[in-house]
Amino acid sequence: MKNSDIVLRAVDLYKSYGTVKAIDGVSLEVTRGETKVIVGPNGAGKSTLLKCLNLLIKPDKGRIWLEDVEITNSKTDICKIRQKIGFVFQEFNLFNHLIVLDNVMIGLTKVKKLSKEEAFKRAQEVLELVGVERSLWKRYPAQISGGQKQRVAIARALAMDPIIMLYDEPTSALDPQFVGEILEIIKMLSRNGLTSLIVTHEMGFAREVADEILFMYRGRILEKGPPTQILARPKYEATKRFFKEINRLYGAGG
Amino acid sequence: MTSLATLLQYIPYMLEGLIWTFTLVSGGLLLGFTIGLPLALAEVYGGEYTRTLVKCYIWFFRGVPLLVLLFLFYWGVFPSLGLKLAPLSTSIIVLGLRSGAYQSEIFRSAIQAIGEGQILAAEALGMNRLQAILYIVIPQILRIAIPAWSNEYAIILKDSAICFTLGVAEILTRARYVVITTGVALIPYLIAGVSLMILTYFGVKVLDRIYSRVKIPGLGVSLP
Amino acid sequence: MNFWSEFIVVLARGLIVTLEILSISIPASIILGIILGSLRVYGGKVTSTLSSAVANTFRGLPLIVTLIILFFGLADLKIYLSPFWAATIGFILCGGSYISEYVRTAIYSIEEGQSLAAQSIGMTKFQELIYIILPQAVRRALPAISNEIVYMIKYSSLAFIVGVQEIFSVAKTFNSLYFKSTEIFLTLALIYLILTGIATIIFKIVESKLKIPYS
Repeated sequence: MKNSDIVLRAVDLYKSYGTVKAIDGVSLEVTRGETKVIVGPNGAGKSTLLKCLNLLIKPDKGRIWLEDVEITNSKTDICKIRQKIGFVFQEFNLFNHLIVLDNVMIGLTKVKKLSKEEAFKRAQEVLELVGVERSLWKRYPAQISGGQKQRVAIARALAMDPIIMLYDEPTSALDPQFVGEILEIIKMLSRNGLTSLIVTHEMGFAREVADEILFMYRGRILEKGPPTQILARPKYEATKRFFKEINRLYGAGG
Repeated sequence: MTSLATLLQYIPYMLEGLIWTFTLVSGGLLLGFTIGLPLALAEVYGGEYTRTLVKCYIWFFRGVPLLVLLFLFYWGVFPSLGLKLAPLSTSIIVLGLRSGAYQSEIFRSAIQAIGEGQILAAEALGMNRLQAILYIVIPQILRIAIPAWSNEYAIILKDSAICFTLGVAEILTRARYVVITTGVALIPYLIAGVSLMILTYFGVKVLDRIYSRVKIPGLGVSLP
Repeated sequence: MNFWSEFIVVLARGLIVTLEILSISIPASIILGIILGSLRVYGGKVTSTLSSAVANTFRGLPLIVTLIILFFGLADLKIYLSPFWAATIGFILCGGSYISEYVRTAIYSIEEGQSLAAQSIGMTKFQELIYIILPQAVRRALPAISNEIVYMIKYSSLAFIVGVQEIFSVAKTFNSLYFKSTEIFLTLALIYLILTGIATIIFKIVESKLKIPYS
């Protein structure tokens, strides 16, 4: 059941690197409970866009709101905002020097200032939710597989109890055998009502999970719409070409 | 208190000391090179007995403080051998012996960086060991070693000031003389320190420049 | 035999002073090095420039000149440091500057992703430095830091120049009485070799205790 309450809103975002326009005027909105998927060719600016939304990258122009707080206002405490936005990286970025359990707990103890017992309880919850076995909790990131790393990364973000999750190509760095299980987790969380914004190449997954798909091309959102509409009847040449190529490479389920 | 003008008179005298600094540094580096390169080759290509000897040499001359080495040789070893060497000569020899130990490590890393395939390829062409080393290994390691070597230069330059304890007339000794004569301490010592800093800085810059000219694209080694 | 028994007593006294200096200089220079290195990377424009200037000065100045300036030079400005403190402060400044360079390099070697991940869960720059970056960077800098400590042990002999009665100084004085130079300075050499050997072993143990599996 979705209500029209907007969790994340971005208006007229621009970001350039030298002469390259990574983001060339992007606006978007994510309502509570919605799952939006951003697709597009490499270099279209999808990753940059996602990282701008929690100000890991500072946009040159544009404004962003989380619920009714303007993130881009210099007076806003960005650290408090980031606690409410969960971010999952393509390269996992687990803290190398901490065991799995501490990776999940450190945000709770040091940022949210929970007690060790409360932090442990919460960490336990999310690790079990994403399916990381207890036997792995005392291991270091270097000692677990890519699929397990990404699960821990998702748990780490979830533990902070965010109101929206941002996934930056969560399966692109994984060996093929792990892609499916991570997508299942993201699907499960989305179905449970977790507001999600996902950048991905996995079209079959996008079709299943998205309430709306945004096609990004050369720094702009070229087209958007529900999966059935945008995949069946793309309006622009670029969109058509992109989907055709994806279909060719990965088949209809790709 | 002496006036600034009087102090300024002594500056040429102090800066002249840099000539002796330069002598110490170049003498030490040169001697270190003639010891270090053969030692490195011996350590990599020599037999077990040779390697152990080289390792002992390195361990001793890297592990004992320069100050102790200077006094050991000046007051102990050389007189025992019946040699009456001046402070300058002793200093150069000691700096050289010590630098030889460090330089052998530098060249050893360089040899290991270029890989043993080089020697194998050379021998496959029909060269004997000596030719392979002369024509293939040495030209390469001399280039690769330059960054680490410039670090050695910086260290010897700064350590040359320690030779003032034997009375070598380099810049620190002269600064001390000025201090005792004029009663002003801070300025002469600052001048000595800053001069050495400048020499270090520019020397390293020059070596960097040389390195970028002669370096082999795609091949390098990090400081040992 | 008389010579040796006297010599050992004298050496012991000097060794205690050397160890006193080192027991303060070594921890203090490591702490200074970590702080200075962090400031050079994470400090604002002013702080980082200032920290780098300090570090580069004391790396560029020969240690012996630093010691002499601290003891003899500062006297001109009416700052009178005792020989012990002139030496100790000199070692801390010099060692700390070198260590700050190693820490700085190590911080830069940490992948950006670690920083981004720390920020993504809402950590401030300070929290990111303390909880995520430094624990990894200091581990990486450990070999270079232990190397620097070995240098410090050797260069502690320079404290003799400002009049500290540490082990080199007492040996030299002893030498002017007995003139058995080779025996005296060779023994001294051996003692330094043992000291640095012990330090190296200690650091190897510390390194293995702090080791973390890295992919």
